[in-house]
Formats: sequence, structure tokens, C-alpha cells
Amino acid sequence: MQVTRLRAPAVAVALLVAAGSAAAGQGRIAATITDREGAPVPQAVVYAEPLGADVPTAGLPRPSAVMDQKDRQFVPHILVVRAGTEILFPNSDTVSHHVYSFSPAKSFELALYRQGTVHPPLVFDTPGEVTLGCNIHDDMVGYILVVDTPYFAMTDGDGEASLAGLAPGKYRVHLWTPRLKRADLPAPVEVDVADGVPAAFYAQFTAKLSPAHHSAASSLSWSRY
Amino acid sequence: MVTLLIRAGVAGACALLAAAALADDADRHTWTFDVAVGYPATSTDLVPWIEGGEGKLRFDDDGGLAGNHLAAEYRGRITDTLRVKTVFDYADDASAGLDITEAYLEWRPLPTSVNQHTFRFGAFYPPFSLENSDVGWASPFSTSWSTINTWLGEEIRPLGAEWRIRRHVGFAGSPHEIGAFVAGFYGNDPAGTLLFWRGFALHDRQTRLNDKLPMPPMPVFGAGGSVVGVRDQSVEPIEEIDDEPGYYAGIEWRYARRALVQLAYYDNRAYPDSFRDGQWGWDTAFTHLAAQVDLPAGFGLMSQWMSGATYWLIATTPTGMTTPFTELVDDEFNASFLMLTKRVAAAHRVSLRYDTFDFAREETDLTIDSGHAWTVAYEYAATPSLALAFEWLTIESTRDLWPFFYGLPRAATEHQFRLKLSYRLQSPATQ
Repeated sequence: MQVTRLRAPAVAVALLVAAGSAAAGQGRIAATITDREGAPVPQAVVYAEPLGADVPTAGLPRPSAVMDQKDRQFVPHILVVRAGTEILFPNSDTVSHHVYSFSPAKSFELALYRQGTVHPPLVFDTPGEVTLGCNIHDDMVGYILVVDTPYFAMTDGDGEASLAGLAPGKYRVHLWTPRLKRADLPAPVEVDVADGVPAAFYAQFTAKLSPAHHSAASSLSWSRY
Repeated sequence: MVTLLIRAGVAGACALLAAAALADDADRHTWTFDVAVGYPATSTDLVPWIEGGEGKLRFDDDGGLAGNHLAAEYRGRITDTLRVKTVFDYADDASAGLDITEAYLEWRPLPTSVNQHTFRFGAFYPPFSLENSDVGWASPFSTSWSTINTWLGEEIRPLGAEWRIRRHVGFAGSPHEIGAFVAGFYGNDPAGTLLFWRGFALHDRQTRLNDKLPMPPMPVFGAGGSVVGVRDQSVEPIEEIDDEPGYYAGIEWRYARRALVQLAYYDNRAYPDSFRDGQWGWDTAFTHLAAQVDLPAGFGLMSQWMSGATYWLIATTPTGMTTPFTELVDDEFNASFLMLTKRVAAAHRVSLRYDTFDFAREETDLTIDSGHAWTVAYEYAATPSLALAFEWLTIESTRDLWPFFYGLPRAATEHQFRLKLSYRLQSPATQ
């Protein structure tokens, strides 16, 4: 098994460890992400850009995705898609929403005034971060990260994410979270993926993460108009 | 006249625009109705201020149901970015009947950058209170509000325009958010009148746009009194008197949904010798600081602090007579409260609040009204519609003028227990 250790913004140190067995013909990156105290970080985005012409990306499916609005929150809070993906914005709430983004990667507005409102999906074809807001509910914040690769995943509650279906070769692995400014994100790291051999990837955010967006009940009121 | 015109304009515009909003969207028009019955028990001989007495409480000990409340909040959407809000309130006391507490248009242009702008036009509360965050400016923490917010509800209601801007600092996911607001308004010229004559109070009665509030039976207003005939024995806090606009402005900082600090300044810019229709202008200005922070284990801490002054003089009476008084009132007021609240299992809330207040003439050491209050409140949301609340309130205050005016002792202690059962109906039911 390969383990890549990443310390940002310092140069990453790669450790090579004996590889375990895996399904033949399937490359995989098993990522574990922690904060600077070593605690797992959920909802961190891991994506791998193939390096070199021997890694095919063409012909891979470009699935559509859904950014729902439920209980006055964007669901999911963070959505990662490959450039070119069509995204649907349904409204599962009984209240109206007015979704907008002024991000350079995708600027739009959608007035979603009733439950089940269906708009034609929007195509997100420019890589970058898209911050979503609702002009009715200030507390609603969501993110779409558009990446130029089909290999991406988001960490679970244990800070783990798996990028599967990779062809053998070199990949540049990136990390992203809205809880850090861009300059504090770890520098990307090159990882070798062998056919049938999962590459373990360990990375740590060394800058202090801002609080996770939470919808947990507060004892105070924060919406003031 | 200006006030009347503004009121008519606001009401007319709201009604027209709401009626013009013809669409079948589910929540284009939403109504929230609040109905409450209350049972107060008090241990004071002071007559409640709203009945023209000297007491700081809203109710006396009649032993029956009181504090019954009927309010409705309407929210309508006119366009994607233009909305209207009107709060109706029914009172069965001194100024009985159905009236309006707030009515305004809100315009929120779609953000094109990190800056978010919000504009309000009409009759609205300044965004000072941290307590009054519920529908219809009610408090989710206690039935009776702090001295500061009780007074804001009594005498402060701008009729004007407000611009607010807020933005995240640094990057999109940054927890730091800063904001600022500024408003110009008419009305509020008598603000400070009730505070001076009666002192601070703790209750949950909001002044409606056309209310006439009673003032304590000051002998100076009675036969042979020094200011007899120069003013009504009631105050209309929202009136415009000198046709000069006032303003307020403030800045705010937030750290995620964990901490908030706001600093604001308010000045009604009333001429202290202006007079119209039995009402005098009082030049009232104050600085206001508010902060709240989320604590571990479901606790929350909230505080507001206010320091200001009010100024009133009679150079010439409305009948043209020159008075010996050039300065009747030139006094400073301070008030603050600290509240600790805890939510238990989502449906229960317990709050403890300590209020302190002081209204005095510094050069003479004359105490207009000074004291403190403790409030313990429990709220139980049995269902999303049905809630039960009770609170215990104790106020200790000192007023130097009482022995002269009423033959009352300088100091008073007022206790109150209040039980409230409330029902909320939302149409359409929204989650």
C-alpha cells in the first residue's frame, strides 16, 4: 500500500509502504484527512487530476447531479461535480427560496417559489468554486466545486474518502474545503496509482479550520429581520 | 401631519402592493396568528402604568385572566426582491382596538458581489434588540422584556428608510461577517417622555402606530401645577412634531452563529421646545451596545447596554406665555441587562435575566429612576403551535420625586408572576 503524507503549505513528504491487494484492473486512492489536531475532517473534497497522456478521461460518463433545498438548507452542503455536469435545483421545502451565485465560475439566479418547482438543469462547465446563497434565507449557504476530472470524492464522518476506478498512472491530488481560504489549502501532491493496488493518501490541514457550517439548534436567535 | 401622511402612505402602499401581488405561489402571502391568554399575579399596590399609574408592570392583581394577546404578522412577496411585512396587534387596555406595530417594504436586491444590501421603508424597529427575535417582535426567551427593549417597544418606532449592508470577510466560507446600517426617519419626537415621567418598565406591550399612552398622574399637570395646560396627559411616542428627521446608524460583527456584537447610535433630533397638538418634542439620543454568544451545553449569553440623554424645555408655552423654565429636563439614562438562557431538549427553555437601570440628573444628584430587576422565565413548546410560559419578575427601584409628587415612599419593590398559554397558527403551514 502506498501512503502519501501531505503537510501544507510545506512540501509533501511521500512515504511508500508495502501495498495490499485489490481488485485487479482497478486503481484506487484511499484518502484520510485530518485537521491540525489530528481529528478527522468530514466534508473535505479530494480530487485527482490524471497526469500524462496515458490516462484516458474522455468517454467517461458525466452524470447529472442534484442540489436540493430542504429544511432551509442546501442539501448537500457541498457538491463536487465534473466540469460539464448538469445540476438540478429542486425545492423540497414548503417555503420559497431564491437561489443565487455571483461566483465567477457560475453566476445565476433561480426563483424557486413552490415545493417541487422544476427548472431546466444548469450546466456547470467552468472549473472553480461556486458559492450558493438564498436571497430569502440568509443562513442558507452551499457550495459547488466544479473540477476538471472525473475522480473526486468527499470525506465521510471519519475523514475518509475513496477515489475509485482510476487507471494506473500518476495523479495530482488536491484537497478543498470552504472552511479555509485558498492560500491556506494544502498544495497538491502527486500520487502514483498502480493497477489493482490502492494508494493510501493521508493529508492534514495545518491551518485552523473555520467552524463547520451547522444547522444545529442554537440557544439564541441569529436571524434578525 | 407628516406622521399622518407617512402612516397613510405606508398603509396604502402595503395594502395596494399586497393586493396587486396576484399569484398562486404557495407562500406568496403568509399569515402568522398568535393568540395568548395570560394569568398575572402581582404583589404591589402601584397601579400599572398603562392604567395611568406609577407602576412598572403592565398588570395589577385583579386575580383574573389578563395579558391576553392577539397579533397577526403578514408577509407578502411583491416581486423576487421586494417584500412587505405588516404586524397587526389587538390591545384591550388604555389604547384599545386593532392597530399596527410595524409595516414596511423590504427590498433585497440580488447580490452581485460579496456585499448584501437590504433596504426597508415604512414603520419598523431599529435592529437593536437581541431579545425580540420572534414573530411580531415577541421574545422567545421571556414574556416580559428587559428594560431596554421594553422601552424600545414603547417609544422607538422610526417611520423612514433604512439601508443595511453585510458581507463575509476574507473568503466565502469565512466565519467572520461584518455589517453596517443607517436610517433616516420621521416620528419619535416625543420619545423619552414616558421614560422620564414614569421611569423604566418591564412588560410586553408594544406601542402601536396610533396609540395614546397614559402618563402617571403628575401634579405638575394637574390644577395649579407648574406646567398645567401645556400638554396632554398622554403621550403619542411615534408622532412627528418639528418636521426634522432623526437618524440611527450602527455596525455589527458576527462570528458564524456563535458570537455577535453590535454598536449603534440613535438620535431623534427633536427640538426640545417644539410643540404640536398637545405633544412636546424631547431631544433623545443614546448609544447602544449589544452582544450575544453561544456557550457549550446549550447555553447562550446575551447582553444589551444603553446610555443616553433626553432634553426638554419650555421657553414659551403654546399660549405664548414665557415660562420660568428654560430647562425642565436635562437628564441622563443608562440601562443594561445580562441574560443567560438554556435550551433543554429542544422543547424547553429556561432563562435568567438581570436588569439594571439609572435615570438621573447629574449636577443635582436627583434620581429620576434607579434600580434593578431579576427575571426567571420558563418556556415550554408543547407542539409547534402550542406553548406554555411562566415567569417570575422582581423589580426594585428608587425615585426621588415620588414623595413630593404622590406622597409615596422613595423606594418600591414590585413582584410579578405571569403564566401564559399561547397558540400560533400559520397559513400556509410552512416548515
